[in-house]
Amino acid sequence: MSCSATDLAVLLGPNATAAANYICGQLGDVNNKFIDTAFAIDNTYLLFSAYLVFSMQLGFAMLCAGSVRAKNTMNIMLTNVLDAAAGGLFYYLFGYAFAFGSPSNGFIGKHYFGLKDIPTASADYSNFLYQWAFAIAAAGITSGSIAERTQFVAYLIYSSFLTGFVYPVVSHWFWSVDGWASPFRTDGDLLFSTGAIDFAGSGVVHMVGGIAGLWGALIEGPRLGRFDNGGRAIALRGHSASLVVLGTFLLWFGWYGFNPGSFNKILVTYETGTYNGQWSAVGRTAVTTTLAGCTAALTTLFGKRLLSGHWNVTDVCNGLLGGFAAITGGCSVVEPWAAIICGFVAALVLLGCNKLAEKLKYDDPLEAAQLHGGCGAWGLIFTALFAQEKYLNQIYGNKPGRPHGLFMGGGGKLLGAQLIQIIVITGWVSATMGTLFFILKKMKLLRISSEDEMAGMDMTRHGGFAYMYFDDDESHKAIQLRRVEPRSPSPSGANTTPTPV
Amino acid sequence: MSGAITCSAADLATLLGPNATAAADYICGQLGTVNNKFTDAAFAIDNTYLLFSAYLVFAMQLGFAMLCAGSVRAKNTMNIMLTNVLDAAAGGLFYYLFGYAFAFGGSSEGFIGRHNFALRDFPTPTADYSFFLYQWAFAIAAAGITSGSIAERTQFVAYLIYSSFLTGFVYPVVSHWFWSPDGWASPFRSADDRLFSTGAIDFAGSGVVHMVGGIAGLWGALIEGPRRGRFEKGGRAIALRGHSASLVVLGTFLLWFGWYGFNPGSFTKILVPYNSGSNYGQWSGIGRTAVNTTLSGCTAALTTLFGKRLLSGHWNVTDVCNGLLGGFAAITAGCSVVEPWAAIVCGFMASVVLIGCNKLAELVQYDDPLEAAQLHGGCGAWGLIFVGLFAKEKYLNEVYGATPGRPYGLFMGGGGKLLGAQLVQILVIVGWVSATMGTLFFILKRLNLLRISEQHEMQGMDMTRHGGFAYIYHDNDDESHRVDPGSPFPRSATPPRV
Repeated sequence: MSCSATDLAVLLGPNATAAANYICGQLGDVNNKFIDTAFAIDNTYLLFSAYLVFSMQLGFAMLCAGSVRAKNTMNIMLTNVLDAAAGGLFYYLFGYAFAFGSPSNGFIGKHYFGLKDIPTASADYSNFLYQWAFAIAAAGITSGSIAERTQFVAYLIYSSFLTGFVYPVVSHWFWSVDGWASPFRTDGDLLFSTGAIDFAGSGVVHMVGGIAGLWGALIEGPRLGRFDNGGRAIALRGHSASLVVLGTFLLWFGWYGFNPGSFNKILVTYETGTYNGQWSAVGRTAVTTTLAGCTAALTTLFGKRLLSGHWNVTDVCNGLLGGFAAITGGCSVVEPWAAIICGFVAALVLLGCNKLAEKLKYDDPLEAAQLHGGCGAWGLIFTALFAQEKYLNQIYGNKPGRPHGLFMGGGGKLLGAQLIQIIVITGWVSATMGTLFFILKKMKLLRISSEDEMAGMDMTRHGGFAYMYFDDDESHKAIQLRRVEPRSPSPSGANTTPTPV
Repeated sequence: MSGAITCSAADLATLLGPNATAAADYICGQLGTVNNKFTDAAFAIDNTYLLFSAYLVFAMQLGFAMLCAGSVRAKNTMNIMLTNVLDAAAGGLFYYLFGYAFAFGGSSEGFIGRHNFALRDFPTPTADYSFFLYQWAFAIAAAGITSGSIAERTQFVAYLIYSSFLTGFVYPVVSHWFWSPDGWASPFRSADDRLFSTGAIDFAGSGVVHMVGGIAGLWGALIEGPRRGRFEKGGRAIALRGHSASLVVLGTFLLWFGWYGFNPGSFTKILVPYNSGSNYGQWSGIGRTAVNTTLSGCTAALTTLFGKRLLSGHWNVTDVCNGLLGGFAAITAGCSVVEPWAAIVCGFMASVVLIGCNKLAELVQYDDPLEAAQLHGGCGAWGLIFVGLFAKEKYLNEVYGATPGRPYGLFMGGGGKLLGAQLVQILVIVGWVSATMGTLFFILKRLNLLRISEQHEMQGMDMTRHGGFAYIYHDNDDESHRVDPGSPFPRSATPPRV
């Protein structure tokens, strides 16, 4: 841009039209540069947020690996790698289209298959990448519930189905501009005049993953040895607390992409020319996320100390994640002090769900159904109780008389919408994933044989033990490897000796 | 974009003719819109920069956890990792409730802040949530440093107490002195009111973070005494090696990764031109800071490598990792105000300082499992002196505001005033942290809350306090599930098999 005063002075005299054209041309240039800059800023923000969310997959892999027994480490890590890899293909081919293929009938999207016609004015590749990272997070949650006893083929099938169909449909309902319960509906016909408020996915991601895991684990039944003959629960502890902590911290790190990143754009002003804008809301979201997790971790620490007598690090990690899963629904629309309440109750919900699971002899190696399902559902209710009208209007668009948090004086309509979301998600995921797991069980594709389970899947299915700390361990494994015929469809437990100890 | 500029040539033409005032209003109105949009864009850019820097600094907590875990013996792994998780969690609550208010809440007397408790009246035009998050990540880093010094022998309750006290009070007060616009030794005070007309220059916290954490750890470790078996009867030192070099390297690299948020992020804004319309601005200063950080760490790593090879005959990876971190801790204070060549000098000396401190620690039978006091205390102090010697006038003026006749590095011809301010900072930090944290550790010792029993130390805290051993590589290794869930303490008769 080069605006010359002398040029302008000459023009302004005799020829007003030329002068006006000149000035307006300059301002038009400036305006175009602004639009370019805004796209660059928002895409940078969204892309780096997507990278952070992707690092949660690494976190899941480490958390899962540390939480299972050593003999199943390679198996669970492979499923995490494949969640991301298979998810990438399926989400590209049709997942994204089902989720955000606008316009639609409100139930399922129907455009952009294979990213056809992308980018559009409202959705760029960065949006796709961000949403893909979310989709694989849901699949990662489920893999924890059914760990240590599931056939590998079953993993591949459920993971593709979840990422490619079940999850995209749910995200279409609550996050697309056409979804029947979405607060972003463009026609103004909002459910209970608000739409369900699930900002970053306590319901859409965490409950979906958690309920899917619940059905998987219920239909498979508990791991061998998890409950003794008298019905007493026996903890089958994970093999590496270091990996659990590593995974938890990586998830924490990635959650800063998950929650604040869900704004998608950072250059949105609420009051132009002042510091009051979306950048501030993004920061507040990061703060509420942090506070909810911190509170849940401390509550779990002291709660578990009272209940079991230990200062238990893996339980604290789970409590922390429960706090995050809960705040995810309302992170952008509540005050920081409310986030502390959210985290405190989330820890209690998790403790209660775990007690209940033990009573019902439900076995979930990662506590994924309790954590993501239970705390996720609490997060949706929490939003209905504490959402601030001002923040809702800033983020979801100005709407006079908008229903907001019950405890904030906003009436019960939002709570109604949130309860409907909980019921609908539970119903939909049960109908689809529950049926799928049931069919897999009937086809004998779901659970491994008890010999394989005792020996560990790494040895029987994945080529050997995950750790070799001494050279002479390896020669032993090499013999084992040769015994498994590569082309044999299912090595039976008979030709593999149990894991040498 | 709402409020897009709409300039109509037809409208303007009619205005320009008869009515010059209206034309001027119109044009100025358009330009005002442009200006507002720039303001918005600048906020978005600076907040994005600061938030992602904060996330990077947070990643250092993960680095600390892994570094600490790998550096202790396997029987105490769960204990040390739990302290690292809780540093972050308890730190989050305490820093929210009052830490931030003490540090940046505005004061008149320059000692302690007194506004914005629990983020009241927040955000303000000068501080947004992103700034709070960034400062919180710094506060928990200081607590993380200390936990390394007193590892493997400290009661869990003592951790909770010192960590909350450090994050909620001791550290925020120090950061108020040196970093808030009101602090008595802050370089951000008005030009005629600065300590030695410069203020202490501690850009990202060699003193404020690293020395605070290191000196706190020094007192903790001194008052507790060494771990059992660290020095034999004759006084000879016996290395109690950490249980996993892989975790040490993982943690070190994560810290390196996070340091790119710690040092360059401390600018807090990237959209600041030094010379508007040219390629030279704060973005360039930030890049230089990242380069200086890298060079200092690299030099320290290489110096340690060869130094240790000469001294001990090994090519030792954990020592190289510590050397690297020493180089980072040292350059942290001056990273933004020195030339890259000076960073190499900084790293070289940091490594020598660390080796010297470790020799000294062995002589006086001081035991620090992570070498945290030597590394963060020793190299941090060197980093402050280094700024007094090598700070460039031009960079100081760019980063801290142009001040004619500003004191700068002694070796760069800037006189001794800056060095004086840096020495005052070292003395004051040592004094304050000794008075507060030293006293706290002493009281905890008196209350018998500090050190665990000999029996527990031999068995390892994981088995006696944290519900079992951290690693179970074979199914029948796990003894803990036979513990009666009703009993308040796990059976501790069988020590873990290592």
